[in-house]
Amino acid sequence: MIPTLAGVILFVFFLFKFFGGDPAEILGGLLATPEQIQAIRQQLGLNDPWYVQLWIFVKSIFTFNWGNSWATGEAISNIFRTRLPATLTVMLPILILETVLAIVAAMAVAYVRGSLTDRAIMVITTIALSISFLVYIIVGQWLFGFYLGWFPVQGWSDSFWTNLTHYAVLPIILAVFVSLAPYTRLYRSFFLDEINQDYVRTARAKGVGENRVLFVHVLRNAMIPVLTNLALQLPGVFVGSFLIETFFSIPGLGREVLLAVNRSDYPVIQAMTVYLAVLTMIINLAADILYRAVDPRVVLK
Amino acid sequence: MSAAVEAYKLPPEPARSRGVWATAWRRLKSDRVGMVSLAVVAVFVLMILLSSAGLVARDWQKEVAVPDAPPTFMGPKAKQTGTDPLADAVSKDAKPVDLSDIDPLAPKYDEWKERAAKIQVSESPRAETLPFGADRLGRNVLDKAVKGAEISIFVGLFAAVLATIIGTILGALSGYVGGKVGDFLEWVYNVFTSIPDILLIFAFAAVLGRGIGTVILILGLVGWTGMYRLVRAEYIKHSNREYVKAAEAIGASHLARMFVHILPNVSHVVLVRMSLYVVGFIKAEVILSFLGLGVPVDQVSWGTMLSEAQAELVLGHWWQLAAATIFMATFVTAFSLFTDALRDALDPKLR
Amino acid sequence: MSTLVSVQNLKVSFRLGKHRVVDAVRDISFDVPENGTLALVGESGSGKSVSAMSIVRLLPENAIVGADSRISFAGRDLRAASEDDLRKIRGKDISVIFQEPMTSLNPVFTVGWQIAEVLKLHTDLAGRALGDRVLELMNEVGIPEPKARIDAYPHELSGGQQQRVMIAMAIACEPKLLIADEPTTALDVTVQRQILELMARLRAKHRMSMLFISHDLGLVGEIADGVVVMRDGTVRESGPVDQIFASPRDAYTKALLACRPRLDVKPRRLPVIDDFMRNGGHAPQITVETRQARAQEPKPLVEAKGLRKEYRLKTGLLKRKTIEAVKDASFALYRGRTLGVVGESGSGKTTVGMMLMRLTQATAGQVLYDGTDLLALSDREMMAYRRRIQIIFQNPFASLNPRFTVGQILTEPMKIHGIGASDNDRFELAVALSKRVGLAEDSIHKYPHEFSGGQRQRIAIARCLSMKPDVLICDESVSALDVSVQATVLNLLLDLQDEFGMTYVFISHDLAVVKYMADDMLVMNQGAIVERGSADAIYADPQNEYTRKLMTAIPRGFAGRQVRT
Repeated sequence: MIPTLAGVILFVFFLFKFFGGDPAEILGGLLATPEQIQAIRQQLGLNDPWYVQLWIFVKSIFTFNWGNSWATGEAISNIFRTRLPATLTVMLPILILETVLAIVAAMAVAYVRGSLTDRAIMVITTIALSISFLVYIIVGQWLFGFYLGWFPVQGWSDSFWTNLTHYAVLPIILAVFVSLAPYTRLYRSFFLDEINQDYVRTARAKGVGENRVLFVHVLRNAMIPVLTNLALQLPGVFVGSFLIETFFSIPGLGREVLLAVNRSDYPVIQAMTVYLAVLTMIINLAADILYRAVDPRVVLK
Repeated sequence: MSAAVEAYKLPPEPARSRGVWATAWRRLKSDRVGMVSLAVVAVFVLMILLSSAGLVARDWQKEVAVPDAPPTFMGPKAKQTGTDPLADAVSKDAKPVDLSDIDPLAPKYDEWKERAAKIQVSESPRAETLPFGADRLGRNVLDKAVKGAEISIFVGLFAAVLATIIGTILGALSGYVGGKVGDFLEWVYNVFTSIPDILLIFAFAAVLGRGIGTVILILGLVGWTGMYRLVRAEYIKHSNREYVKAAEAIGASHLARMFVHILPNVSHVVLVRMSLYVVGFIKAEVILSFLGLGVPVDQVSWGTMLSEAQAELVLGHWWQLAAATIFMATFVTAFSLFTDALRDALDPKLR
Repeated sequence: MSTLVSVQNLKVSFRLGKHRVVDAVRDISFDVPENGTLALVGESGSGKSVSAMSIVRLLPENAIVGADSRISFAGRDLRAASEDDLRKIRGKDISVIFQEPMTSLNPVFTVGWQIAEVLKLHTDLAGRALGDRVLELMNEVGIPEPKARIDAYPHELSGGQQQRVMIAMAIACEPKLLIADEPTTALDVTVQRQILELMARLRAKHRMSMLFISHDLGLVGEIADGVVVMRDGTVRESGPVDQIFASPRDAYTKALLACRPRLDVKPRRLPVIDDFMRNGGHAPQITVETRQARAQEPKPLVEAKGLRKEYRLKTGLLKRKTIEAVKDASFALYRGRTLGVVGESGSGKTTVGMMLMRLTQATAGQVLYDGTDLLALSDREMMAYRRRIQIIFQNPFASLNPRFTVGQILTEPMKIHGIGASDNDRFELAVALSKRVGLAEDSIHKYPHEFSGGQRQRIAIARCLSMKPDVLICDESVSALDVSVQATVLNLLLDLQDEFGMTYVFISHDLAVVKYMADDMLVMNQGAIVERGSADAIYADPQNEYTRKLMTAIPRGFAGRQVRT
């Protein structure tokens, strides 16, 4: 984990240092004079040798002292603190719902495998997947928010409960609906892989009925790749919501990052990248431990 | 064998000998869905080739129609009918007031009228309707959709090729050579994958800016990890296979073993994965262009069309959204179905 | 004996893809006696497994059973039974055990849970009584320390123990019929012996019938009461076991019995099925003379000294475990003679062969070839010696590159070692080689998947021949082949040895084959050579304890049964 973290830090540092624009010019704005720019450079320590700058960078990561956003001047740690709840309010329900629904759908499809229903569902999901997520949100927002008026088109409040029951509902429904297609297909392939294994034949030879074969024997084995998949998705949750947050004006981390990109607000992007990388590594570690509980063949290293 | 029976040996194939690709092509030909989707993909490819050569949709930027002109089958936008609410405020009999005394510009009016009469402005009459309608500037949506197809598909294809090349070479090295080289490459892989994809794209976009080439580069640099994983696993598996050991036994060099022996056995897996990349990258480019991070302002992509569509929809103008969606859905569905058919045709298990 | 299961006019076909239907079983009939064992014997593709599985309707989804086929079990018509009825029969009245115990057990449930499941399905046992019965069963099948093992997962047990678990699940509800599909094929010879004895004991004790499927006639002769010989989906011959072995009537049966290398005679060439079939069921002349070994020269061609192979595994963050795959192997190869290396899985025999060729890097030791230590040479210097030691691997389906044509496979070594003046020359040589090993002329343009297992091994042999090696290592080269095909490949190897004077290292777990092929022999156990000497001497009078165990474990067919009982 540590070498990877070191790699991420180095990567972020050098990416922004050598490919990014001059921070002083960005901060100074379009109308800054050369003297002002020089002053900013001095202030940011940009005239120091690169390893000094790297060291400062590393320190700021471990002390959680990121300074302020270049665009708004807000303390970056504050940005994290205030935007995180909004993202989680939307993304965690999505993650839970889509996983549960996809497993159920995949099992149902695996149950009718080979039949016309199976083929039809495969074709429908293929077509559904070919339509951009954007279209779903645009149409969904217009239809349910604007035209039918069932949900607020945009907005957010300070109350967690209002958010959950009022503002987050439409985004959650749309996101879960869109994710059904890909995850059903994926989990279906997991189930079908297991159904063709030898131990299923043994179960049948013991007199186990098809239902029990699917819901006990196969499910238990298929949960292993499902959990792997979940663990892989979890880090993406924190940023993946950017589209939803942008459309629905939800003040979350994803939208924050997007704003930062558009405004060349480097500190925000750098901070997000490094911290999410750390989070990913922690989640992977936790997933490894969870693995042992699920797959007895795994040996804890 | 996982079925309840032992391997059943089929009688040997007839005299004409076939390699993997020929066999796959034969199998593909008998798959109707696969052939239809291949045809659709071919049509699109032809279309974008014509478009890039400038033979089709070249003047997509010209404002040839009335703003927000509806599609042809709907008929032209209704003219403003009904009474003008302000009409009563102005009496019809009132004479225009002569302000020449106080108007400072008054002496110049005649001069300007003369000059204006001398300048020819050729202004072709704006169309009332277009096959797919027009956007808010009056541009032909059909042309935009075709041009957008060219850009989006182009980006998707090239980014897929880039990601494939990077991922395959690194994966082959990592899987075959192993040891310190493999460890190093695994470290690189871990660094790249510990950052969520979208964030990585954003980081690159913040630093590298917009542009078609940039988008291709970004998508390739972010996406190679999937192919790497796949190719590495394949190379590890094949390196331990006996035909590779046999090649070593007869004295074949490392390079020969990697690229002459193993690569042809892995190429079908790579091809299928690359097709998946194409679809994924097209969708990613659309989102990036939508957000303003993709193609530059003077280009059109399905993504930019969708960003305009959002505002239009509120006003009831749905045709640009429909055009972009239909074009994209058709191509991506056809390509996905073709990829599925390709995978089935290449599946060695059926051999 | 009265009949328990009667199969009449069984026809099974498989639908492959949209337009193809392949016949696997073409109208066969057989009866399984009550309290007796019927063996279905045949090579791969004979349809023996399909026939057995159709009794309990455990066929894959694309199987089509003929409308006139009749299967009756204890008077019940199984063909007319509903899926529900069959489910009640499976595991309770008819049980099945399969070939690969590792994959046949569910990896995520404990063995105790899996054995308990079959009891829960068909009996009323629950709670403590259930647990006790599971322990009782584990004891009966001979799993050591059942209380400790009951919560073990399948991958924590050895192959033999896994198969015992399968047997426990199968006999749990005291079935009337046990179908055993190649139950010991994947196991080591000594373990195989134990499992067979267990199954015979259980069968007698519970008065079960057994339908035993195998390709090994030697095995079948020891345990079956009746034998059905199948080929290509048809029955060639069936009858009581003593009759089949003592006086077989069908040409194929006779050929099958004859082409296994026997332990008592060493004919110059093994008889092959085709010889029998063409000869109207009589053994060809060539098999009467005894094979003579070439005289041993004073100086060995290759000398291996102190070969050692260690693997170091990471078992923890800092801990490492050392596994000794081969401990101090020393032996000599003499020109024109065959050294047999015999051992079970994990004995290190394959590793020894790989070290000789530097395909595996030895941890220590020397390989002296005409005085030069091969292991000390650089890669470039080794190239000169590469063509002089070659190897034929076990798996004919994996040792040829599926993307190369036969022509490319044969000419590649020629190009590397500079044999043949031009591409044309090389192709001519390739054609000559393929004819020499018994392949058709147009093989050059075909791909490996168009050939059978035996033919692929011939291609592999031809590939080695192109370099005219001095030493040929045969690493389990015939183990994956059908018995009838084995004989043809072994004969080819012997022909080539006579013609080119090659030295062979013949590695195998199959004692009968090694005894036939080898002049001198090494017996390996867990990385060490435990006995060495001339092959005949070792078989006649094994000195080492382990060697003796190996010898007694070999199935000897019907004759062996009389010796044993």
